[in-house]
Amino acid sequence: MTLTATQRSTLPGRHLWQAPEFTLAVIAVAGFAALAVATGGNLLSAGTLGAFFRFLAVPIVIGLSQMVVLAVGQMNLSVGALTGFCAMAAAWLMLEAGLPAPLAVLAALLLGLLVGVTNGFLVVLTRINGFIVTLATMTIIQGLRYGVNGPDTFQGYSPGLRAFGRASILGLPAVFLVALAVAALVALFFSRTVPGRHLLASGGSPFAARLSGISNDRSLIVAHGLSGLLAGVAAVLTVAASGSVNATIGDDLLLPSFAAPIIGGVALTGGMVSVTGTLLAAFLVRLVDVMQAQFGINPRWVDLIIGAVVLGAVLLGTVRSKLQERSD
Amino acid sequence: MTAQLETPAPPDAPPRTPHRVPLWANPRVGLVVLLIALVVLFSVLRPAFLNTRLTLTPLQSDISVYLVVGLAQLSVLSLGHMNMAVGRMAATSAFTMGLVHDKLGAGLVLSLIAGLAVGALLGALAGLIISRTGVNSFVVTLAMDFALAGLITILYSGVTGGVAFPAMPAGMSELRSDTFADYCIGDVCGPRVPLVVPFAILAALLVGLLFRLSRLGREILMTGANQRAAELSGIPTKDRIVQAHAVSGLLAALGGFLLAANNGAFSASLGDSFLLPSFLAPVLGGTLLAGGAVSVLGTVLGAALTQVIYKGLNLLQFQLDRLQLYIGLVLLAALSLDRARHVLAERRGNRA
Repeated sequence: MTLTATQRSTLPGRHLWQAPEFTLAVIAVAGFAALAVATGGNLLSAGTLGAFFRFLAVPIVIGLSQMVVLAVGQMNLSVGALTGFCAMAAAWLMLEAGLPAPLAVLAALLLGLLVGVTNGFLVVLTRINGFIVTLATMTIIQGLRYGVNGPDTFQGYSPGLRAFGRASILGLPAVFLVALAVAALVALFFSRTVPGRHLLASGGSPFAARLSGISNDRSLIVAHGLSGLLAGVAAVLTVAASGSVNATIGDDLLLPSFAAPIIGGVALTGGMVSVTGTLLAAFLVRLVDVMQAQFGINPRWVDLIIGAVVLGAVLLGTVRSKLQERSD
Repeated sequence: MTAQLETPAPPDAPPRTPHRVPLWANPRVGLVVLLIALVVLFSVLRPAFLNTRLTLTPLQSDISVYLVVGLAQLSVLSLGHMNMAVGRMAATSAFTMGLVHDKLGAGLVLSLIAGLAVGALLGALAGLIISRTGVNSFVVTLAMDFALAGLITILYSGVTGGVAFPAMPAGMSELRSDTFADYCIGDVCGPRVPLVVPFAILAALLVGLLFRLSRLGREILMTGANQRAAELSGIPTKDRIVQAHAVSGLLAALGGFLLAANNGAFSASLGDSFLLPSFLAPVLGGTLLAGGAVSVLGTVLGAALTQVIYKGLNLLQFQLDRLQLYIGLVLLAALSLDRARHVLAERRGNRA
């Protein structure tokens, strides 16, 4: 459900099928069904389905991480690099420093939070556009990420964490369920908590928010901090699900982090988020990925298709809102 | 040439007394000081930094490429837009240049013109989508970047069976290796300046003239400052958006051509490294992301500064991780200093 500070989408008279997410859901279900039929049911076999959802976890969380800063009208270019840095740090803590897995996980989350809050403070203190600030911190974090272990790979860390990465509960991978839980928490944060509502108010209209006694600076710091924390979650899920990590982790996450919220209907101008839309969009992108793997299509076509899908989804959204304005 | 532009005041507003900015508060003066300080620092640490053949000549080639790429981004920053596809537009144009040479046997000039035309068309297409649908430029060009990234690899593998064209038009290798010192009239030889430098200088001059003197450029800036006001003043803002993006695509294509000349090949990975530097040069030079004002001279200094930092840290043999770390830190420091100077200057101005 789309959430804004003024909650226009829950006004009476709006039907479920009018929600932008409804279109996405229909496309997602239709696409999934079509792919299941096209692969002769192969997609529904336990192994394939498990892999499908296991590698959906990180795109969901990274999409949410970007969505949180989009809510205040900012961008965070450092999400991918930060995910990689936190993953490398967690693996280093387990292998080199000998910390038990739970402590290393906690440390990775804290590290993400810390870097995110630093981003937020830099944006607030320097008054430089968040795009530029995170561009600079991305470069720094990439250096730190490489500095943890150079070009070498970490593997063979905590068997417990690895087992968690492979575990399934009721046929669904545990990491995917964690991602869903995180998504539910983020949705609750925006719909029910005061800081979450403040975030949306600041994003929607900083001026009006300030007149209502909301600190826009605090909103910016909270948004960047939360974004960093979610990047930390994505890092932990990566470490658990993939079994080995190196300094290239996160390089391919930046563009998908934007694709998921944008396809999901989140506005870049701020003040509006859609957790369901981001989830569904991440699902769609994963669907395109699996289609490529199943039919042995040149992976490059995937980029082409995702590019077309992003543009198509946005155009569709514009047409929809214009039609709705006309019918209102 | 100082090509800094400020939004022209609306015609009916009372004439504002020009706000005198003290010399030290001019961001471009700060950049020059920083640039000189870094060159001195690197030269002291590594005297090889002043070696003309090994360092200074390649440095000029690099600055030329990234200056043009920065100008490509600057053309749309003037609108308050972004061009996330700047690298892929360059790569697609370079593919066209290679194709026209490889299949049609065209020479250097014709290939270059074909590539520039494709770049301008891609930019115009992005501008057209943005202006007709009202979708954010970031989203449109990001989607375009995705799409072109896929397309380029498919095209290269389809046409060349690999990731690069085997042959270059005649004259490209001279562009790569020669300097003006290789061309003499009698006993007088040119300076050790690579042949690609005039391309970049010409591009900077033309972009500066466009935004400073031409009606088109001023109207683009007006559109960037306040699209609605510009619309009401009778400016066809949608056309201006298309044109600014076309200029951006054209410059991206030129940047791709210069990089191909430096690398010695039209390859699929060309332009992969364009995105971040394209923002660094104009932003360091004082161009805002908000639109309505550009600084071409600042972009020249910004491009020079970034490349000097890269070259210097490279010469000091920093590992990759340290290199990135320090570049990021220098960047943050430069931006924060600029901000601090701005705030100080405003306070002085208020007190006076």
